[in-house]
Amino acid sequence: MSTVASAAGAAGAPGDPGDIPQARRRRGGVVWSILRSRPQAAIGGGVILLTILVAVFAPFIAPYGPREKVGPPFAPPSSEFPLGLDDGGIDMLSLIIYGSRVSLIVGFAAAAVAMLIGGTIGILAGYFGGKSDVALMRVTDYFLVIPDVPLMIVIAAIWGRSLTNIIIIIGVIYWTGTARIIRAQVKSVRERVYVRRAQALGASDSRIIFRHVLPQVAPLLVANTVLTVAVAIFAETALAFLGLGDPSLISWGRLIENAFVSNAISVDAWWAIAPPGIAVAVVILACTLLGTAIEDALNPRLRVGHLSVRRFRLRPMPSKEAS
Amino acid sequence: MRGADYFLKRTLFALVTVFVAITLNFIIFRAAPGDAVTGLRCQFCTVEFKDQLRAELGLDKSKWEQYWIYLQDLAQGDMGRSFVTREPVVDELIDPLLNTLPMIALGTAFAIVFGIISGVIAAWRRGTFLDWGNLSFSLLFYSLPTQWLGLMLLIFFAGTLPVSGISDPFLEFTDPSWWETFVDRLEHMILPAATIGIVLYGEYALIVRSSLMEALSEDYVLTARAKGLRNWAIVWKHAFRASLLPVATLIALSLGYLVAGAILVEAVFSYPGIGLVTYDAVFERDYPVLQGAFLILTLSVVVANYVADLLYFKLDPRIAE
Amino acid sequence: MSAPVLEVQGLHVWFELERGGELHAVQGVDFSLQPGERFGLVGESGCGKTTTILALMGLLPPSASVAGRVLLDGEDLLARGEETVSPHRWTDIAMVFQGAMNAFNPVKRIGDQIAEPMKLHGVSDGRAARQHVGELLERVGIPATRTSSFPHEFSGGMRQRAAIAMALACEPKVLLADEPTTALDVMVQAQILQLLVELADDFDLTLVLVTHDLPIVAQVCPRAAVMYAGEIVEIGMTDTLYHDPRHPYARLLFAATPDLSGDSEVVSIPGTPPRLDREIAGCPFAPRCDRTFAPCGTVKPRLLTTGPGHAAACHLNDPALKAAS
Repeated sequence: MSTVASAAGAAGAPGDPGDIPQARRRRGGVVWSILRSRPQAAIGGGVILLTILVAVFAPFIAPYGPREKVGPPFAPPSSEFPLGLDDGGIDMLSLIIYGSRVSLIVGFAAAAVAMLIGGTIGILAGYFGGKSDVALMRVTDYFLVIPDVPLMIVIAAIWGRSLTNIIIIIGVIYWTGTARIIRAQVKSVRERVYVRRAQALGASDSRIIFRHVLPQVAPLLVANTVLTVAVAIFAETALAFLGLGDPSLISWGRLIENAFVSNAISVDAWWAIAPPGIAVAVVILACTLLGTAIEDALNPRLRVGHLSVRRFRLRPMPSKEAS
Repeated sequence: MRGADYFLKRTLFALVTVFVAITLNFIIFRAAPGDAVTGLRCQFCTVEFKDQLRAELGLDKSKWEQYWIYLQDLAQGDMGRSFVTREPVVDELIDPLLNTLPMIALGTAFAIVFGIISGVIAAWRRGTFLDWGNLSFSLLFYSLPTQWLGLMLLIFFAGTLPVSGISDPFLEFTDPSWWETFVDRLEHMILPAATIGIVLYGEYALIVRSSLMEALSEDYVLTARAKGLRNWAIVWKHAFRASLLPVATLIALSLGYLVAGAILVEAVFSYPGIGLVTYDAVFERDYPVLQGAFLILTLSVVVANYVADLLYFKLDPRIAE
Repeated sequence: MSAPVLEVQGLHVWFELERGGELHAVQGVDFSLQPGERFGLVGESGCGKTTTILALMGLLPPSASVAGRVLLDGEDLLARGEETVSPHRWTDIAMVFQGAMNAFNPVKRIGDQIAEPMKLHGVSDGRAARQHVGELLERVGIPATRTSSFPHEFSGGMRQRAAIAMALACEPKVLLADEPTTALDVMVQAQILQLLVELADDFDLTLVLVTHDLPIVAQVCPRAAVMYAGEIVEIGMTDTLYHDPRHPYARLLFAATPDLSGDSEVVSIPGTPPRLDREIAGCPFAPRCDRTFAPCGTVKPRLLTTGPGHAAACHLNDPALKAAS
């Protein structure tokens, strides 16, 4: 998914190549400077932050409780209930607000799992190389071909529908992409002068990894993790829709599923269906914008386009010159 | 011949992946807590019945024996019997698969055609409003959850287009012509295909745009301009051709999504394809069918990837080096 | 002396910067070339030499604006911008690009790409074009049988030759060669340069060779100009530039080059070139110069004639200023 995502990242700098932030010693520096210089990153980051705040302060923001029946089933939107009520007479707005919690938890936790596994394996494989590296990459190659969602469905169907299971399943499916990207980056970092020098000085491998390799790889890891969050949130909605979500929890995916199963369509209750989907789309979009902006800034591949409908302009000679 | 080397490698890779998929399939289903029979809920499932079922399914043997039997059965095209209908799984899957394929093909064709058009326009008119507009729309469509989009389309088109099934059940009583049947099928296919197509379009438009932009920043484009070629000639004769390579591979990478999408839209539209079969099997815990469906889906992706590999070789003369 | 085939008068190029402001990449370049002349344009990377020759063909991005005149046989190519320059591309003035390895589209055959401008400009078509392509390839030292090869099947040196062949497809009057031998090994470099000289003679070409590598200029171009910070700081016969340079930058540049050919890295002069996004007060080279005196920091030097056909932009050549200080 990150291959497509980086396609979107090219939006940041049409025409001339964008400013590449100078390498900083602390990774926070690089990421922060990207956020400041690219509007799409700031928008994406801002929206994510907003959603996190909504999730954290849900009990204070939501007008009603998530299981509180406040009216008849499928009541349409009104001034009292801006998003209407669902099939159980519960306020949709409150459901959306509370639903953000599980959706975000699954998204971030699963992405964290993928990042930890993928990052560790990527660093080890890239740094130590050799036969185990080749073997590992071969194995991930095979797994990358196997379609992700059916695999998750099957595992969830058999091994149970708890929240932890879902998080682990999603995380385990998606670590391979991260591993490959990190491995490639580590391989190039390993060849750099200061790493070689540290090795020559007798620094231990773990020291080199933590002090030299990790800081260089961290921004890319951050970008990749953000993009994985987007994928994880989508995966959660897919699993929930197919009845494999945790039945006791409220998430946006579950809200969509619930609307479907309770036949909101037959009563034209679009308000039970539209909001959760929009919420998911917004968060996925935000993650995509942020992740691709970071990735794009770290990997400036796009140079000047040689073709344009607009042409170079003519100017009169500067007055200082005599013709 | 250098091509043969590449062909051999990719074939081997495809075969190994198939084998890995089959084994994975086995492991997942047989290594679960309890076995397939333990979780079975049915009215007449006494302990004796379950034991008998276990013996019938070979679940009382060792895992290795089970694996071997499983491979042998597969080689003969035997995927067991459905828990629900007691019919052979293979029979349950073939017709649905044949229903799904044209629907997916329709959606993908839509996505490819419009994705390419959009992507080319956006890359060519880079930096202009057309580019930004296309980018925004593509990103938006790409971010929409498939099942949600399906539901929205369903609500929107409920009056005008059929929203479930694959055909009008009453049509056959009117002795329809070939054309009428075709139109009927098409009408039923349009919404699920469109749902998949729209999300996929978002992805493809982004890919084509990026790939073409990359090609347009290559040195040979400047050379072409220096040689006196007009803009459109450069885009068509040089950049587009060169940008097809990454586009082809990336399309291959999106096949995994296609499978997920098929399952979701078929559930939404009750379209009797292999996705709906999977959905029902999950709901009813019909493990043999689920296992069979998963295998079929995985194999389809492996095959499609393999075809893409071969196509890639045709498009890029450098690949064999 | 006949009429010059190419005259550049007061060429300026500005680039719009994304963060606002402008980069004044080329600041008033003048030179004039006789038919059949081989002329060198020398300088560090970033001095504006590549931008200058790109401007001659109008190959600038939309963020660029141009001033000045480029007279090809008396006709001003930049009179109305793209409109007046595009008809002359390749037919009258052609280019071998920096990193010509990448001038070829990797998925199309070499022969097709060389024939492309021929067909486009009506020079030849169909079978005649193939014949012509074969002849051109032979002329640059590539067997005609390789016409249907793909670029990746050629070595770097061969691709360079093919790029030269392609540049000659429409028999232009002027050939611009931008760093034609970078990234090639020494033996191949020498061959390519030899080829360029022969072709210039055979095809009656006027050659402009852009490079940072001084021995190349010495080998190929009897006359050259040295550029710094977007301007020509010294121009004249290459021999004189080597033995009696009149601008400190040229002096340091030529003196610093070791005699071994193949070490094409310009030995560093301490300091860095000035930023071109703001006005420079005085001489742009002053911060790095070892012979500055009073006027250098405030008065911008103009090109002063220091001998027949030789000029340099340095206050040291101005007897009046020297006397005053």
